[in-house]
Amino acid sequence: MWTRFTDFDRSWTVFDELRRQMDRVWDDFEPSWTEPRRHAWNDAGPRFDLFDTGAEIVVRADVPGLSEKDFDISLNENVLVIAGERKTKAPEGYSVHRQERPAYKFSRSITLPIKVNPELASAVAKDGVLTIKIAKAAEAQPRRISVKAQDQG
Amino acid sequence: MNPTLSKRSEQNPERVGTRRTFQPLVDVFESKDELLVLADLPGVSKDAVTVNVEGGQLTIEARRTEKWPGQAEPLDFEYQRAFMLPKGIDASKIDAELKAGVLRVRLPKSEPHKPRRIEVKAS
Repeated sequence: MWTRFTDFDRSWTVFDELRRQMDRVWDDFEPSWTEPRRHAWNDAGPRFDLFDTGAEIVVRADVPGLSEKDFDISLNENVLVIAGERKTKAPEGYSVHRQERPAYKFSRSITLPIKVNPELASAVAKDGVLTIKIAKAAEAQPRRISVKAQDQG
Repeated sequence: MNPTLSKRSEQNPERVGTRRTFQPLVDVFESKDELLVLADLPGVSKDAVTVNVEGGQLTIEARRTEKWPGQAEPLDFEYQRAFMLPKGIDASKIDAELKAGVLRVRLPKSEPHKPRRIEVKAS
């Protein structure tokens, strides 16, 4: 809709808006770990993805504009609590033409599905993506069973 | 032939690509000296974003790729957004900076200029 400039194109904006509203209906039914979402946030703050890479649990969220120090992250047993705030006010002396980027203040509790080792945890915010990695507890690590071949008579 | 119809493909800034494309969320602010455009581009580093000004139009394009073990396919998509600039922007003084996944484009007000590529600085 923002790219429709001529009068001819503007008559299509009604359909753009209809299509957008139709697309939004599906957003609630289609969360998927690998598909990038149009909006990586909901009213309660950024959406979090949780991965299990085998050796560790990885929690990540799109948090443009924020760095590690903007978050308060704590781990209690296997409950990870992440709190943060983002402001998007216009700077002093500026009027607002368009404001789409959401401001939010959130505190999210995520129960991790597996026992973790809180000693081996890291949190990095790079390029607006927060990545928290927590090593699994020793007893929860995946174990490889080596298959020994039987001697052929 | 309606001239509006035949010129649409040139004016229409949407590209047909093989990658999924999303429009990033954008704030547009204005002071007496400049326009300020802020775009959320999480997961994008300086080398992956381009800002172009041509024919009075500002285009922001960025590519985001991420690979995670256990994913069937790596994340690979594009952000794209274009704006018509009002008259009175000095294109030679446009400045773009990328920090923590947020692109700040400053567009000082003055006479319009010819097409230019804008260097994106990392911060």
